[in-house]
This record gives sequence, C-alpha cells and structure tokens, in this order.
Amino acid sequence: MYRYDEIDREVLADRAAEFRAQCARRLAGEMTEDQFKPLRLMNGLYLQLHAYMLRIAIPYGLLSSAQLRKLADVARTYDRGYGHFTTRTNLQLHWIKLKDMPDILDELASVGLHAIQTSGNCIRNLTADPHAGATADEVDDPRIWAEVIRQWSTFHPEFSFLPRKFKMAVTAASADRAAIRVYDIGLRLHRDDEGALSFEVLVGGGLGRLPHLSPVIRDRLPVRHLLSYLQAILRVYNRHGRRDNIHKARIKILVASLGPVEFARQVEEEWSLTDKAAVDLPDTELARIRAAFAPQGFETLPAVSTPFEAAKSSSPAFARFARRNVLAHKQSGYALVNVSLKAIGETPGDCSSEQMEAIADIAELYSLDEVRVTYEQNLLLPHVKLDDVPAVHEALAAVGLATPNIALISDIIACPGLDYCALANARAIPIAQDIARRFADPAQAENIGELKIKISGCINACGHHHVGHIGILGVDKKGEEFYQLTLGGSAEDDAALGQVLGPALPADRVAPAIDHLVEVYLRERRTGERFIDTFRRAGLTAFKEAVYAQAH
Amino acid sequence: MPKLIRWRDASAAWAEDPFTAVDDDQPLPRGEVILSFSRFQREGRALLDQGRHLGVRLAPDEAPEALVVDIPRLSVLAVSFPKFRDGRGYSIARVIRERLGFRHELRAVGDVLLEMAPSLIRCGFDAFEIADGTTPVQWAQAARRFRHVYQRAADGREPAFAERTAG
Amino acid sequence: MKVLTANRLTDGEVVFWTGEAWSERFVDAGRYDNDAAAEAAEAHAKGQTTLLVDPYLIDVDEVAGGWAPVSYRERLRALGPTNKLDHGKQARGGEDIALLAHAHGAARSKGRVDLIRRK
Repeated sequence: MYRYDEIDREVLADRAAEFRAQCARRLAGEMTEDQFKPLRLMNGLYLQLHAYMLRIAIPYGLLSSAQLRKLADVARTYDRGYGHFTTRTNLQLHWIKLKDMPDILDELASVGLHAIQTSGNCIRNLTADPHAGATADEVDDPRIWAEVIRQWSTFHPEFSFLPRKFKMAVTAASADRAAIRVYDIGLRLHRDDEGALSFEVLVGGGLGRLPHLSPVIRDRLPVRHLLSYLQAILRVYNRHGRRDNIHKARIKILVASLGPVEFARQVEEEWSLTDKAAVDLPDTELARIRAAFAPQGFETLPAVSTPFEAAKSSSPAFARFARRNVLAHKQSGYALVNVSLKAIGETPGDCSSEQMEAIADIAELYSLDEVRVTYEQNLLLPHVKLDDVPAVHEALAAVGLATPNIALISDIIACPGLDYCALANARAIPIAQDIARRFADPAQAENIGELKIKISGCINACGHHHVGHIGILGVDKKGEEFYQLTLGGSAEDDAALGQVLGPALPADRVAPAIDHLVEVYLRERRTGERFIDTFRRAGLTAFKEAVYAQAH
Repeated sequence: MPKLIRWRDASAAWAEDPFTAVDDDQPLPRGEVILSFSRFQREGRALLDQGRHLGVRLAPDEAPEALVVDIPRLSVLAVSFPKFRDGRGYSIARVIRERLGFRHELRAVGDVLLEMAPSLIRCGFDAFEIADGTTPVQWAQAARRFRHVYQRAADGREPAFAERTAG
Repeated sequence: MKVLTANRLTDGEVVFWTGEAWSERFVDAGRYDNDAAAEAAEAHAKGQTTLLVDPYLIDVDEVAGGWAPVSYRERLRALGPTNKLDHGKQARGGEDIALLAHAHGAARSKGRVDLIRRK
C-alpha cells in the first residue's frame, strides 16, 4: 500500500499545527463560535448531542496494522474505547473533547492519518472497491487512482468552498462494490483490447432528500487525463451549481436540471480549454504511486488448501463462516475474509479498541498487514492464505468478530441516528438491534439469503436507506419516532431506488414488519431468487398487505 | 473604506488604494475607478478611450470570459465574495489568470477573511480588501502555512509531484 | 416551563443553567415559567462564548415525581445514548436519572415543542 513520504507527512504536520493554533485562539476567546465552527468542521470535528464527534478519514478504506492500532489507542486514550465505522468508510469517535483535539491530530499524523476534508463543502474522502488488489474481476488496481485523487483533492485551492459537499467513488471491477451510482462522481475503469485503460465517468448520483442515480457523462476517458477532466467537472459545478438552496446545491441537481447531455457538453467545453499538461500527473508520479500498490509478499500456493477443507468438514460453525464471510482471491491459495461488525444485538459498525487491536494483530500475521473498511460498515482482511483461515476465524471469534452474516438480514447498515447525531429525527441503532435479534438464528438467516437492510435516522440518508433491499427511514411525527419503509432499492450493479411501502410505523412495529416481509418472500420466492428478485417480480402489493393487514 | 493588503514577491503589506469603487447609480468621480460589470459594459470603453485607469468588479455569477477583449486595458479586476463560503470567486480568478492572461491587480472584495488567504493566493489574487481586521503579518503567515501543495494553480508553486521528480 | 441548556465549549458536555451556575445534571436545572425571564437568561448565556456553545431553551413538563424535557431528543441529551447505557449522564444512575428514563409516556403525549431549534 501507499506509504506517506516526507512531503505527505509535512502536509499533515502543517495542518495539525494550524488547527492547534486555531483551537488556542477559540479557547482564549479570540474567535467566536461562528468563526471557529467552519474551521473545526474542516478538521472533521462536529458538536453532537452529548459531546464533540471526530470523523477520521480512512482514504479509500485502506488501513495498515499500525494505523488501526493507533486508532484503537486514540479511541482508548481520548474517547470511550470504541469507534464507529461509517458508510463512507470513515471512523467516528463520539466522545471527543475540544481541548484534546490538537494532541489527537498529532497522534493521527504520526501514522499518516488525519481528519482532513471529512466535513465541509469540499471534496470529501474518497471511497473505492474494498476488494481492490485482491479480486479477479478488476482490470486495474483502483487504489492507484484513488491515491492520485486523494493527493490532488487535498487542500485544492479552487474547490474548498463548493456549493455543497462532494463525494467520489472508484472501482475497477465488473461488480460494483463501491456504490458508484450514488456518488457525485463515480468512476469505473475499463481496459480495451489493446490493454489501454480508460474511465467511465458518472456524474450526479446521490441520496439524501432528492435521491438520484448518476448518468454516464463520458464513456471512455483516457486515464492519463483523469485530473484535468475532474477539474473541468468541478469547475462547471463550482461556477454553476446552485447556492441559493442547500437542498438543491448538490451536483445531482445541476446535472438533472441541465440534463446529462448539456452538462457533459459544458464539461467538455471547459476541458477543451484546460491546459491538461499542467494538471494531469506526469508518468513518473503515476509510476511511483502504481509501484506502491504492486502485489508483494504473495506465495505460490495450490488452489485447494487441505487445512481449510478439513476445518470446513469438521466444524459446521467454521463451514458457515467460510460460506458467508470468505471470498475467492485472485491469487491462488488466498482468500478475502470479511470481518462482520454486526454481531447480533451490537451497534452496527462499532468496534472496540480491543477488537481493533486484535484485527491489527491478525492482519499483521495473516493478511500482509492490510485491513479494509467497507461502506457496509464491516472490515475486511484482503490477503489471507486459505491455510490460515481457520486460525483467523479462531482469533476473530475470540473477540466476538466472527459473526457469519455478511450480506444477510442481520448485516444491517445503520447511521448513528438520534442516539448521537444532532441532525437526526429518530434513532437508527435500536431498530437495527431489534431486527438482528429477531433473526439471530444463523441457519434461518442463511435460509433467507441475501437481504440488505439499510437504516437512516433522517433524510440525509447516511444509512443509505434509499438503496436498501429494505430501507428504513426514521421520521419525527409530533415528537415521536416513526419509521418509513421502502422496498426494492439497490446500490450495486442493479442500482435502484426503493419504493415507499406505506404509512410510517412506530418503532415497536418495525421488526415485526420485517418479519412479515420475510414471510411473504419465503412464501413467494422461486428457486434462486433473492428477496429483491422476488420483490421485483411479484411487486409491492403482497408485501404491503402483509405489513398493513392488521390496520384494516 | 476597507483596508487593502497587497501580496507581492511572497510578502504582504498594506497598500494605498488609488481606486474608488463606484456604485451603478453614483455619479462618476474623477480619477481611477472600479465599476460594476454592467456599468463597465455601458460606459467602460469610452472611459478607457479617454485614458482613464479602470477596474471592473465581477459578481460571482458574472463570467470573466465576457471581458476577453477589454482585459489588456484594465488595471484592476475585483472579484466579489458575498460570503466567504461562496467559492465561485476562486474559479473565476483562475480563469482570469490562467485562461485570459490578466497580469495586473486581481483583488478579492467582500467577505474576505484571513482563513481564505492560502486559497486566494493560490488562485491568483494579489490584493485583498479585508473584512476581518487582520494584518499583513497574519496574511503572510497564513500564506506560508503549508510547505507543500498537491496541485498546480495560478500562483506558480511547484506541486508535490514536481518536487518529487526534482528531489 | 422552560429550562436553559447548552454544550460546554471545552468538552461538549451537556449542561443546564441552575439560575446561578452551569450543572451537568438536568435535575439541577432552574425552571422558568416566565418567557421574558427565560429569554433574558438565554441572552446572558449567549454572551458566555468562552464557556458555552449554542445555549438554547427547552420545554419541560411535569412527570411522576419531577420534571423532564418534553422532547425525546432533549431527554436523550439529559441521559445519554440508548445503545450504550454505561455512557453519558445515565451511567451515574440515581433517582433523577431513573425518572428521566421513565419519562417516556408522559412526555410523548405532549407532542413536540421547540424540538428542532438548533441545527
């Protein structure tokens, strides 16, 4: 993976020093809260219900063992000994003190971590396919391009005060594991018959109050022009995006109002006037970044592992874990091992300092020192020898991290909701806990199969409810928490926005409603159909009647 | 009148401002003036022909490209920031410097705050009508805060990738 | 009835105005039945910029055995997150905390007042 050089480290040091001075001015009364708030937000520091919340960037979801250990240490020293991984693959600490912030930023910088551009109307931390560098279905390593964009977008002088926040995702695989169609810019790499790489550029996706799936605005962009083309998109947006209405300020609204064809024309015109050579990276720098992601440390192994097969035969629990959480690697004899942060009854995405340290140790021993964060709020060990999977399973189980439920009904996305968040209208975590407990039996969950439930505590949709197979949106009805259900959404290759099921339900009726929906699915499904397939074939009515029958 | 800080040769200093900013409904004073874009379109060429030194003030929704013909004869371009969070002026400045080739004073006006210094300078501004009572010393410190930058802009700074190649 | 609350600048802790000082406990909060007096207290608090962030008034209501914030959000601020009962003010326990935790029904029936004042 990419390691920060002296220049990258000095950028972080300068940033930490700058914020130390700003904090001192605020605490001394030399700055008002109105002046300070945008500055602390630029450093990922929010004020929430109970304390400050620090959002730490995990660029394209990639962590070394040393970085994960540092996060564990910071969470223990300055917070309550845990952190919350988010759908943007960041880590949030929910009990931070302002007076500790300068020291925290220094600690993070010591391992190349920071909170830069995790808030504010700027280019936010970028996400990428969590299987990058490990999956056979990719045409290139998307982390190379993610790192290119990370550097280019860091403190970009022209794009630090955009109309609204700006998020990008990149993948190089045929299967979309980065939800690229719900991003401001989604990038998908292609390789042509001659081996040349290009980007498919999608612009104007997003969730929130007005959800959109992004259209393609350029089919094949030669990769060497990535940055000049991004500059052209961002410049058109910065100059012409709406600034009069916060709900209409995202680029999705500009793209939708101009139409994708006209938007693309404006971008192409801007790009044609751009001095591309001044913006695009020279080949030497691209090669330097590419070299940092070259596969290294892999052994030549047989495709079938005797210890792995033996463990599956002897232990039903391990066999289940292998079925649910272990995926094929492009390298023979290796696997990707998903680490579920969705233990039954726990808070989705939460990870204690002890657990982070255990994963860091496992990654160092068994996964070439690498950990990934997925937008589904889980972690991933990308490079585990099949021979070692039984030992990894045992080590994960010892710290409560071997839940075999990846992509199943209890693998629920949930934002922090009203338990923490100052913007939320309703809680999300207890709803997820209720549902997970109801489907705690792993055999039952496996029988139900792939079912993605996504819960947001408000319309900002951090919990991606629009694109859940079952989406749950918390709303406030006269001071009470209610929940609106949507069905049929997806963030993957079959991306779709969910349809509203019916009137919002009170909190205690949500988990029973999920039960009814699952009953309908199990009754109606045909061989091989997932929940969403059955829903798409059979339609909303049967599901709606099951949930609202009692009300009639 | 707001105080003017000028950034030249990598240092900041107070500057005299010989220009008078003129509203659209105000009678034209003698001397050097900065006009709105619309007033410039009505009266500007005649004034330039008289030999007046002129500046034009652009609102964030006004396109600098419309000035392409007149730009060689203008002494000042002022770009307004109605709120510091309104970042359109940065793009406008880069177009003025890098595309239209304007070499005279490029002035930031409006809600111009110290925290904007690094971005303003990188995008090509070299004069600032400050709104927050800060000083040239503070502006110089803010401008030098980061030892490295990651991208080329209008200020000629070498980005990290060029430093790496050179190093 | 109103109570004045804020978050403390240095650590973000939720605090309540007793009438003389800021307390971390809701039970210590002074109650205003007079809007003018409440707003005067709020205005004074807004001047305490090196101590507080964003002071504001909340509605409270009588419940069995005492007082509680009307809105669900404000009860969470006075207690802590419901997914980790050992975090936040609720971890301390005590009668005042139990009262807030059980304030549910009574407060809900009153509906929403001043719920979304601060964003």
